[in-house]
Amino acid sequence: MASDSSPLNFNNGPSSPDDSLSSPIGNTFSSPGSRRRRRSSTPSAFATPTERRSRFASSEATPTAPRSRQNGSGGRVPVTPTSTTDDLPASSDGGDGYDMDDARPTFVWGTNISVEDVNDAIHRFLRDFREAPSSQGDDDGLHLHAEGKYEKLIRQVIEVEGDSLDVNARDVFDHDPDLYTKMVRYPLEVLAIFDLVLMNMVSRLKPMFEKHIQTRIFNLKSSTSMRNLNPSDIERMVSLKGMIIRCSSIIPEIREAIFRCLVCGFCSDPVPVERGRITEPTICLREECQSRNSMTLVHNRCRFTDKQIVRLQETPDEIPEGGTPHTVSLLMHDKLVDTGKPGDRVEVTGIYRAMSVRVGPTQRTVKSLFKTYIDCLHIKKTDKSRMQIEDAMDIDSGPGRNEEGVIFEEEKVARLKEISKRPDIYEVLTKSLAPNIWELDDVKKGLLCQLFGGNALKLASGASFRGDINILLVGDPGTSKSQLLQYIHKLSPRGIYTSGRGSSAVGLTAYVAKDPETGETVLESGALVLSDRGICCIDEFDKMSDNARSMLHEVMEQQTVSIAKAGIIASLNARTSVLACANPSGSRYNPRLSVIDNIHLPPTLLSRFDLIYLILDKADEQTDRRLAKHIVSLHFENPENMQQDVLDLSTLTDYVSYARKHIHPQLSDEAAEELTRGYVEIRKRGNFPGSSKKVITATPRQIESLIRLSEALARIRFSEWVEKHDVTEAFRLLEVAMQQSATDHSTGTIDMDLITTGVSASERMRRESIIQAARNLIMEKMQIGGPSMRLLEILEELKKQDTGSEIHLNDVRNAIATLATEGFVTMQGDSVKRS
Amino acid sequence: MVGPQYDFLGNPLGAVRSTFDTAIASGSDPSSFEGRDWGALPLFHHFLFDQSRISQVPLLTPTTIRSIKPNTLVRFRGMVQDMPGNEFYVGAYKDGSVWRTNKYMDVSQYPIRSSADTRIWERRLLYCVPVPGLSPWTEVSAEDFGNLSLDWMLDSREKRRREDGESSDMHVSCDEVQDSPNAKRMREGEHSSIASHSQEAATDIASSGTSLGYDIGSNSPPCLVKIYDSSESEVKLNDIFEFVGILTSDPELQEDNEDCDLSNGFSEDPLRHFPPNKVPRLHCFIHRKLVIQDFLKNNPTIEPKPDSVKGLREALLRHLTAILGNDDVTSHFVLLHLLSKVHARDNALAVGKLSLNLTCFKKETVSVFGKQLTLVLKNLLPFTFYIPLTVEYLNAVSLAPKKNYYTNRLETGVLQLAEGSHLIVDETKLEAGTLNSVGVENCRLLKNLMELQQVEYDFKYFKMDMKTDTQLLVLSEGKSNILPADVIVPFQPSANNYSEAVTTEVLEAWRWYLATVRQLPHSIEPEMQKVVEMDLVAARQADRSLGPQELSRLLTMGRLMSLSYGETSLSLEHWQMVKELERLRRQRLQ
Repeated sequence: MASDSSPLNFNNGPSSPDDSLSSPIGNTFSSPGSRRRRRSSTPSAFATPTERRSRFASSEATPTAPRSRQNGSGGRVPVTPTSTTDDLPASSDGGDGYDMDDARPTFVWGTNISVEDVNDAIHRFLRDFREAPSSQGDDDGLHLHAEGKYEKLIRQVIEVEGDSLDVNARDVFDHDPDLYTKMVRYPLEVLAIFDLVLMNMVSRLKPMFEKHIQTRIFNLKSSTSMRNLNPSDIERMVSLKGMIIRCSSIIPEIREAIFRCLVCGFCSDPVPVERGRITEPTICLREECQSRNSMTLVHNRCRFTDKQIVRLQETPDEIPEGGTPHTVSLLMHDKLVDTGKPGDRVEVTGIYRAMSVRVGPTQRTVKSLFKTYIDCLHIKKTDKSRMQIEDAMDIDSGPGRNEEGVIFEEEKVARLKEISKRPDIYEVLTKSLAPNIWELDDVKKGLLCQLFGGNALKLASGASFRGDINILLVGDPGTSKSQLLQYIHKLSPRGIYTSGRGSSAVGLTAYVAKDPETGETVLESGALVLSDRGICCIDEFDKMSDNARSMLHEVMEQQTVSIAKAGIIASLNARTSVLACANPSGSRYNPRLSVIDNIHLPPTLLSRFDLIYLILDKADEQTDRRLAKHIVSLHFENPENMQQDVLDLSTLTDYVSYARKHIHPQLSDEAAEELTRGYVEIRKRGNFPGSSKKVITATPRQIESLIRLSEALARIRFSEWVEKHDVTEAFRLLEVAMQQSATDHSTGTIDMDLITTGVSASERMRRESIIQAARNLIMEKMQIGGPSMRLLEILEELKKQDTGSEIHLNDVRNAIATLATEGFVTMQGDSVKRS
Repeated sequence: MVGPQYDFLGNPLGAVRSTFDTAIASGSDPSSFEGRDWGALPLFHHFLFDQSRISQVPLLTPTTIRSIKPNTLVRFRGMVQDMPGNEFYVGAYKDGSVWRTNKYMDVSQYPIRSSADTRIWERRLLYCVPVPGLSPWTEVSAEDFGNLSLDWMLDSREKRRREDGESSDMHVSCDEVQDSPNAKRMREGEHSSIASHSQEAATDIASSGTSLGYDIGSNSPPCLVKIYDSSESEVKLNDIFEFVGILTSDPELQEDNEDCDLSNGFSEDPLRHFPPNKVPRLHCFIHRKLVIQDFLKNNPTIEPKPDSVKGLREALLRHLTAILGNDDVTSHFVLLHLLSKVHARDNALAVGKLSLNLTCFKKETVSVFGKQLTLVLKNLLPFTFYIPLTVEYLNAVSLAPKKNYYTNRLETGVLQLAEGSHLIVDETKLEAGTLNSVGVENCRLLKNLMELQQVEYDFKYFKMDMKTDTQLLVLSEGKSNILPADVIVPFQPSANNYSEAVTTEVLEAWRWYLATVRQLPHSIEPEMQKVVEMDLVAARQADRSLGPQELSRLLTMGRLMSLSYGETSLSLEHWQMVKELERLRRQRLQ
């Protein structure tokens, strides 16, 4: 290290052995010729650090603070932030004469860390660090000549006259693990040097730059849980995740005080804060005056900084069972003040500190207790509770925007990828989804697809295809539909859960309100807008008012909400998947009726659901037996033993959000072919040879659904390509759902007309035949102006004639009504008259 | 026991200090004691359990708190209501050349000078309250108090004597430590003979101001317990514990320490809201989790033998039947209900609960039978609650605990209950009215408690589900829709008003029966399992409306039925009984 500490190295000399990683030529602006000049400019930089103190000097008597002061006599230069200001120029003066002959190394007190070594290491890091090329083949030559990452950043900071430089701790680690370790272990000392080196570089780049720039470290390699903070972490750099629960008001904290003599008006030099206290001069410093106890504080000439105390609480997922969340105080200074609001989830990097509690200002006894807090260095907002909000489904978000969201930790990603490689990943995920809900595997698979979602597409022409998959669950009461909904709601990003009974159209979409104070009209978002890029779960869909339901038409296909009221015309994004569930109209599902008759939903809305599942409680002895076995084992065995092979909720959430964010599968040619083939085949099924009956078994909407489903299935496997088997599975899923919902019960075939118009082809034919029969009957039996006939009589007559299907009174009434519109008969109450 | 003798009751800190000194003298590094004991705990363990002196340690109660001296050994029984977090303190420090410790103390005895020679350790704070709904019979009776205070007075007299004789309070005279029960009884006799003297002593103490002067009402005091070196998972919220430790009090602490930096913005110190004169501090040596049996007085440690249990069962059932106006079916269900306990959880599902809804209560019958039932249950179970459900109540009460971030405390709610609590909800009082948002939320909470045995704690920014194990009994006119219970039994009394005096011994036996039988393990034989499975499948084939919940409930009943006979595996006979009971219930429902 001795050679490294030579001044040559200080100026990017080519001799540095560590440079092998980066360019041997170094920065273009550092030439040997400039060395002299720069040297002379350095002292001006050393004057600046006086301001630097601001961030650490607040505490009084931290347990380690005294140890740094004690060595003032022994060691040459105590480099700690709490030491007085004139110490630091001394230390850097030592750096100035980095010559070999002055070989007495300066150590950080109590350690074997040499100040010079750290100084050089930091300098090397700031100067030389370059990010590893993202891809191997990326034009290496260009990269070599590029400026170091942090030099670039420093220039930027200078340009915008910023006051801090964010340093990624991982970069430090990649460059110099030793420096990283030292930094984490002795943050106060190392950061002081860090700031110093930084200021040095700044003054070289721009000699006249006056502002002080602080180093803000973030993204430590390991983050501590709040629960595990213990005395050994004191005075170390830690990184914590949590939720802000309270912010204090901004506290002005005095940094430098100026006193004025009341007798002669003499103003003292600024007195800096030392260990949280300011010593008031007892005597006027002017030689002629020297009056005692005459100094008074001049408030408006003192220097203050902002300070804020923020309380951070553990995030709910870190709280063990039967525990309450822990909290910790954060101390924020200057620019960090007001960076977070209560409720924000943040990741904080800072120094864990302890402060002794005094019993009273006058008492000597110390309570022997310590208050702990974190001196905040860097704060980053995160939102990890749910799946990522930033979403790959949204085509607007380019790759650049992904950087903002939470960066998945490498180990985690590796683990997720490991999971994704399992051959039975699809089954495992299905099992992990709402594991307490019995059976319903196909429904769960559909829901899984909804969670993963397909790719949204926006064509150059402006046409867009949604990637969201909408699902409707219809079923008997007590078949855990609501539980499924609740589960999905918990899991999904921006999940909104509403109950149809309590939702109005405006509550779902958007609402125009008048601000009571200003009288301005403002838009308030409803559930659908709020769940933009999420899943909107609507329970009791059937109980929703028609008006509210009709709002969904637009949302489910166009993915926008249009508002035109109170002078506001707006179109809001509502790129949301809808998961709705409904009860059959007659509380229990009547298998003799079609879906439409069972749920009173308009067919136009129904067709917008990609998958419609009927969850029916079928009397199946096999299922019953399995259920009985399950319940018995639940009661008599340890349920923990029974849990096998199921991902926990957080892993599942991570898995889904990672896939949504990073996996954008594309259709392979093979898959596309399979899609076409399958679609044609389904369509063919509707054509019965030799029959004039035309049944529509699939519509273009289905092919879109199929694409979305197969994309979601590819995402489940973390695959970038939609394979043939994805398409096959998508067909299966769609068919299972269709067979349940779109099957015409009288013929047993799939009939999309059921969904699109609500009446199956065979039903239409039956109605026709009844009308025909009724017409014939009336022609036969009744004369114009003759006596009227009761409906029941007609029914009886028809029943006598008809041998085939059963006829109900309702059918007859409908038929007569049709005839009445033709003007063939008139109907009054129950009596029918030929007209 | 070798080594010096200690006055564990009067001067526990002496024992702590001298063991510390011994440990240091034997060359241990003080920093190695972080998070572990240096030999003080075994001494206390030996004293309390091996010599079984735990009964001599005074229990902290409203009566005793006024007389217990600070820095003595006390016991406290309570439920962990809040966990204010951890506290860092100077564990060991160098006073001159001597190492001192602050463990088990609030304030250091000697000034801490150089911070280079301090070791910072950590302890956990627990805010404990008396168990909610504690029945009067669980508390130590008046005569016990008398004994305890006598003990204590003796102690203090001795202490004063000792203080006269010896200067060091760390050394303990021999005769005092040989405080064998024999000697004690003897001294008690001596004591009563000089009753006037002791009376004088008592007033003496009261006037001398050694008592802590706690400003508390008739309720048992809450207590701030500081526990050391325990693992995180050992103590959970709402657990009931007995803590043995040092009661401390320091007048200096009562000062408001406003001067520190951090209190500027808002209160930093969680303890500020527990003023020491209201909330005593307890530095805990030993803590143990209590089960219901610990609350029984003369805990008979007999094995639950099927035949003796059967007798108790019959007697108790008879009593319940009589109380319930000769309604046999209902009393059977009530018995099963009283034995229920969540024994496993499968995700959100709580297995083993059996909440009961007795319907067909009129206003008049409730005042007769409801009251009686409540009274009987209070006499049988350690923790009982009675909630008269009215619209006003629902709109006003805070059922769920709520975190107050301004005081940094978890404010308790009615539903913050210890494990095994019994809750009677009287819905007959409910009349038509409008619920506000609080009321709606409360209804939801009650429903969640009923269905999932979970209470949602409100942490303002998020809710946290806390698992609980509460037996719920609903009295209502018709089937309760707010509280969907597992079993609905129409109550059909045929006789009315019955009162029979039950002797304390019998009551105690019943309490023991209920507490013990509940805890028994349970299993099922493979053959029986087949029978049950077949029965369930048949039942479901016959009636499609039977959902998993109903089947699960039948199994729970089977389990409870055999437990009520003290048996640990389900027999065909008991299964048949359950089916018969269920048949009778269904008959009533029609």
